[in-house]
Amino acid sequence: MVEVFAVASGKGGTGKTTSTVALGMALSDRYDVTVVDADTGMANLLFHAGLSDAETTLHDVLADEAPVEAATYDRFGLTVVPCGTSLDGFRDADPDRLRDVVAALAEDTDIILLDSPPALDSRTSVLPIVLADRIVVVLQPTIPAISDGLKVQEYATTYDTDVAGLLFNKVRESESIEQVSEKTERYFDGPTLAAVPESERAREARRAGRPLLAHAPECEAATAYRAAAESLTVRDGAAADAADRFQSAVIPESL
Amino acid sequence: MKLPHGRLDKSRVVTDPRDTLADVLDRELTGYAVFESQETLLLDGEGRGVMTFTDGVPVLVYHTGTDRGGPPALADLAVPGPYHVSLYTLDAADLESAHEAADLRVPPGMPAERLGGDPALADSTRRAAPDERLSAMGDGDATAPDDGTADQSAVEAFLDDAEKIEAIKQQARSEARERAQEWDF
Ligand SMILES: Nc1ncnc2c1ncn2[C@@H]1O[C@H](COP(=O)(O)OP(=O)(O)O)[C@@H](O)[C@H]1O
Ligand SMILES: [Mg+2]
Repeated sequence: MVEVFAVASGKGGTGKTTSTVALGMALSDRYDVTVVDADTGMANLLFHAGLSDAETTLHDVLADEAPVEAATYDRFGLTVVPCGTSLDGFRDADPDRLRDVVAALAEDTDIILLDSPPALDSRTSVLPIVLADRIVVVLQPTIPAISDGLKVQEYATTYDTDVAGLLFNKVRESESIEQVSEKTERYFDGPTLAAVPESERAREARRAGRPLLAHAPECEAATAYRAAAESLTVRDGAAADAADRFQSAVIPESL
Repeated sequence: MKLPHGRLDKSRVVTDPRDTLADVLDRELTGYAVFESQETLLLDGEGRGVMTFTDGVPVLVYHTGTDRGGPPALADLAVPGPYHVSLYTLDAADLESAHEAADLRVPPGMPAERLGGDPALADSTRRAAPDERLSAMGDGDATAPDDGTADQSAVEAFLDDAEKIEAIKQQARSEARERAQEWDF
């Protein structure tokens, strides 16, 4: 079985990368999890996962210069596919190869999390959402973040990708998140998975180049991510045709 | 709102109004910005938002489409980008009489908070604001108990506007369909 999730939001800085790694680690208790840095223009998952000196990355794979296996690393109980940060690497990468990458990884894992770009303005930035079975929308409890999140959802559902749920992040104590999340849910096709507090631990973890769940597993933010993982019911995609599914993932004919 | 004509400083399309607010703060601009949403389909896409600044810190906000000022005008402006933004500079003295319009005033950090969705930028804006603006308005978090809740209610007011949200969703769906063909998936 395999299910592919794109961790997405319309804005940068909401905590997609932090959430991708944290959800991945929380899910790895029950599943075999692979996380992929699909934000190929502004990659930073490598800095969150202690892989800043990774030799071979997704850029090399997308440039057809290395097989996927050469860019996969076992870290913190996850299979991690980091992406490089150089402009040259981005230029030489063929974003469409992401389909084949996902298809190849799908043969051998239960869950793939795609850390997605913060925009919807190009074919490359939308591809992870098209390839995914469902999206996890990362929101901050602010008007622009919610309205950008709505936009991401509508793109996803238009492209036949469902919504697994919402993750509120960087929630401040002063914010009455219950009311906001209840009202937000009216407009989204998925439930709130968790509200993750604004946390000094998260910033420390990033500076230390370690995932939040490794750096401060008992902190409130880490606990919230584990709760999110608990409430996510993973659907069994048929393993046999997984490869096929991602290679041919397209926008539905009805458009 | 009556403003004297300023000298055009910059005119461009931005996807995120946060960038404009950060730029204005960074350059300590005195003058005003005119925001025009490119999303003409949206309910409040009609009309323009005007925001004045003293030394990079927001003072007044007014929306020409809804004829509302102050915090409600910020809500009118809060639609997904892109926006066309023109920045104009003025001498502080030329803004003095306009700045007497207390009903159009916003707390210094509120535009960064609500339009930009960036609490950190809101914090630096509040730090740049003169003391009397902070105490008079009650803006921000722990230092001014007033605003955390005010800001929260802005998010809730936004979420209560089902019609506006439906318009945002509809706009996104039609954009997604158009783009699908353009991108040839
Ligand atoms: N819950 C949180 N509390 C405080 N800081 C956070 C939290 N989540 C993420 N951050 C910080 O915010 C910044 C952006 O997070 P990141 O995950 O890189 O966002 P994105 O991938 O959406 O751009 C990072 O410095 C990260 O450490
Ligand atoms: Mg990121």
